[in-house]
Amino acid sequence: MTTHTPHDIKTYRQRLRHALDNAFLRQTLDTFAAAYRESRAKAFEGIDLESLIDDIARRKASALPRLEELFAQFKARAEAAGAVVHSAKTAQEANELIAAIARENGVRKIIKSKSMTAEETFLNAHLERHGFHVTETDLGEWIIQLRREGPSHMVLPAIHLSRHQVAELFEKVTGEKQNPDDIEQMVKVARRTLRRAYLEADMGISGANFAVAESGTLGLVTNEGNGRLVTTLPRVHVALVGYDKLVPDLETALTILKALPRNATGQIISTYVTWITGAVPCDASLSGRKILHIIFLDNGRLQLAKDPVFSQALQCVRCGACANVCPIYRLVGGHNYGHVYIGAIGLILTAFYHGTENARALVMNCLNCQSCKAVCPAGIDLPYLIKNAVRHVLDQEGRRPIKNVVLAKVLKDRKLFHFLLRRASLVQKPLAGKAPLIRHLPLFFDKAHGFRSLPVIQAVPLRDRWERLQPQVSDPAMRVTLFGGCLTDFVYPEQAEAALPILADHGVAVDYPMAQTCCGLPALMAAEKETARDVALQNVRAVDVDQTDWILTLCASCGSHMKENYPKLLGDDPVWGQRVRAFAEKVIDFSSFLKDVLKVSSDAFMPSHEKTAYHAPCHLCRGLKVVEAPRDLLKTAGLDYVPSRDEDVCCGFGGSYSLEFPEISAELLKRKLDAVESAGARMLVTDCPGCVLQLRGGADKQARSFRVCHIAEAVARAYRGKTDEALKFL
Amino acid sequence: MNDQDLVELMSGKAQAVQTVVRLCAHWDEVVTYTLDLTASQGGSSVAPWGLPDQARDRLIQGAAHKGLRVLDPPFRRHLEQIHTALTPVDWGVAETGTLVLDSTSEDLRLATMLSETHVAVLPKERLRRSSFDVAEAMKAWHMDPPRYVAFISGASRTADIERVLTIGVHGPQHLHLLILKEADA
Ligand code: SF4
Ligand code: SF4
Repeated sequence: MTTHTPHDIKTYRQRLRHALDNAFLRQTLDTFAAAYRESRAKAFEGIDLESLIDDIARRKASALPRLEELFAQFKARAEAAGAVVHSAKTAQEANELIAAIARENGVRKIIKSKSMTAEETFLNAHLERHGFHVTETDLGEWIIQLRREGPSHMVLPAIHLSRHQVAELFEKVTGEKQNPDDIEQMVKVARRTLRRAYLEADMGISGANFAVAESGTLGLVTNEGNGRLVTTLPRVHVALVGYDKLVPDLETALTILKALPRNATGQIISTYVTWITGAVPCDASLSGRKILHIIFLDNGRLQLAKDPVFSQALQCVRCGACANVCPIYRLVGGHNYGHVYIGAIGLILTAFYHGTENARALVMNCLNCQSCKAVCPAGIDLPYLIKNAVRHVLDQEGRRPIKNVVLAKVLKDRKLFHFLLRRASLVQKPLAGKAPLIRHLPLFFDKAHGFRSLPVIQAVPLRDRWERLQPQVSDPAMRVTLFGGCLTDFVYPEQAEAALPILADHGVAVDYPMAQTCCGLPALMAAEKETARDVALQNVRAVDVDQTDWILTLCASCGSHMKENYPKLLGDDPVWGQRVRAFAEKVIDFSSFLKDVLKVSSDAFMPSHEKTAYHAPCHLCRGLKVVEAPRDLLKTAGLDYVPSRDEDVCCGFGGSYSLEFPEISAELLKRKLDAVESAGARMLVTDCPGCVLQLRGGADKQARSFRVCHIAEAVARAYRGKTDEALKFL
Repeated sequence: MNDQDLVELMSGKAQAVQTVVRLCAHWDEVVTYTLDLTASQGGSSVAPWGLPDQARDRLIQGAAHKGLRVLDPPFRRHLEQIHTALTPVDWGVAETGTLVLDSTSEDLRLATMLSETHVAVLPKERLRRSSFDVAEAMKAWHMDPPRYVAFISGASRTADIERVLTIGVHGPQHLHLLILKEADA
């Protein structure tokens, strides 16, 4: 089996374009995404998911610094029970060890149950090179083995194939005609054929989901029952287990088990969970006991476990969910969204397990949409780790792209940054800066990517209008700091302007500190962590946190970045930490502010009953976890909110992502607009200026039948002022 | 949760994963059920493991009547002949419809893995609510190795071809759970 992961963006983009043409794959993954969402929700009914995730994350995280100690404990226990326990430093070492065990025991035929760890080491290829006959027994793995492919999903390895392709394959293997529509019959073919393989095999190879240190027990989770046969029928059993599978005790394993099948396949439990401690009776072996070897694979894990940021990746329990929900995976499939490990976790692990050359292009392919993070049962902040992995790859390769250098230099100096923006606006061109340096700044887009039309940079940004705009509120009920962010300030000041009368009417005094600047998310996205930190500090210093009740932003991306990443970047800073945390706590989005703080009443609006669709920005619904407020606000404002398909799926903007991977961005945009159109909406509302840029640009370019606006504009348009009735409640 | 609730929860969850659930008053009923089932499926053999002596005797008598074979261990000799496996289970976990079997004996493993139909007998008083309620017992097994402990929840299944759920890929195609009211009868 070989994988051909492109080593540069250009080749990768060709591959992605090719994948986008695969209609079967798209249809399959779409259906899967919808079905997965539903079955997962059902499986977790009645379970406090958040506490379960916390529990798993805590248990896994606390095991990581003790992996070597847990290994020693496991080894002592398992060996006392008749197993032989090994540690392999590298993939090559593990493969050689397994081949040697096979040779020593006179093995010719080997059967295998599914193991991502064995995929990681390319074990089959190694064993075949050494003359062993290996048969995969998991149905999906068997299918792709026969096709000489790698898995395209960690749980459903053959999800990219149609029944017709499988029928064709089985015809070749059995020499008998197959009916592609009789899947049951095809499964029987596999049952029959593989039964023979079990009976003839001398050695079984498995992975493990858990290695329980306190008792030296392996835990295997399967549905087909092949894991049981692989570990029972042949006289030799070899288990290849990543160090990260070590858990201290049975309770930890059972806790993970509570989430793993539910999150992987929407089952409350997998059909078979097998717990093996030591060498069990085996009549096929001369001694009457199984010859059991357990190999723990390091391959970088022990180093990773010590890393303050990346160790979190080892909390992964391999449920595959981060692929299921990823909008990019949905478009291009696992063969284009991972090297061996697939989905968000694959983007991260590839750099560490399979070399930076294989990660180089792959790791860039993330929208930072937060979908993976929202479903990870191990509580891994996957998008954050992906951005850190980008930096890791750059550092390893000693590269620093020019755009990073420019970004860092300019963002560190707010006056320079704003000077450049103002100068650019003089040209009155869309945001398609020609000057090579400017092109790398937030807001500047390469005009080559013409799938959407682009707005212009305003001649008079919000900050220059402020003196005129600032509402005079006597005896204010509260003080709010408005955080603009680049897009609101320099491209869409009208969105903020629209919001001001409502705020003033409700007795809110608004400040707009001039020293505020870009929130810094573009720097983090470009893996410029130092710059992100520097910029964050500029903003924190610009705001008098003690004198403000809220830090209000119309940009969901700025909002979630400030709320979540600022404390991550600076929360431990001895001087600023406390203030950064206080700052983050006061950050609030527009919809929540109107609904939950001002509690605006429907009396204040003139109902238009315009059919309005809503796009939930990634950074609002997942980043800030604000879900109901905007929809409620639309209703309060007298608009007819019409639900549309995949409302919370990314629009494809992702900041500079849309420049790096325009084909994917354009496809996501098109789907979004299609969904809105088929919902029959006259207006599409969202609450992030980045999404507005993408969606409005797309709707304009494709001459769609609805307009796109920020929720502040939509609400302001319907606002008729507070009635006396409403005033009484203040 | 009282006994009745537990039985109901267990039945519901087990049925949801295609386990056929019956209540049996005593072992005689178990034996009759197993023989009828085997005959109705066109099977020709039963591999019993871990039955009380009396039940085993009844099984042998009944099988003779129906012209079925009762297989004797070691089952390595019958790898391709086991139609029905008839075994007790150690615990039931109601919340997930799971059967817990200490399958350290190779014969028990072969019977439950290679049969077409597995008839599992669970004494009612061995029913618990969650896997955490059997954790102590499991630990005791793990600490007394070698051990092979199995959780079984439903019949073997796959969704590897176009995500279509298909039963019976490698393990038993049918799982029948008989909840025994009086274990010693
Ligand atoms: S990273 Fe999280 S979601 Fe992805 S496979 Fe691992 S545990 Fe599952
Ligand atoms: S953040 Fe979004 S795009 Fe990136 S890996 Fe996660 S789900 Fe995929």
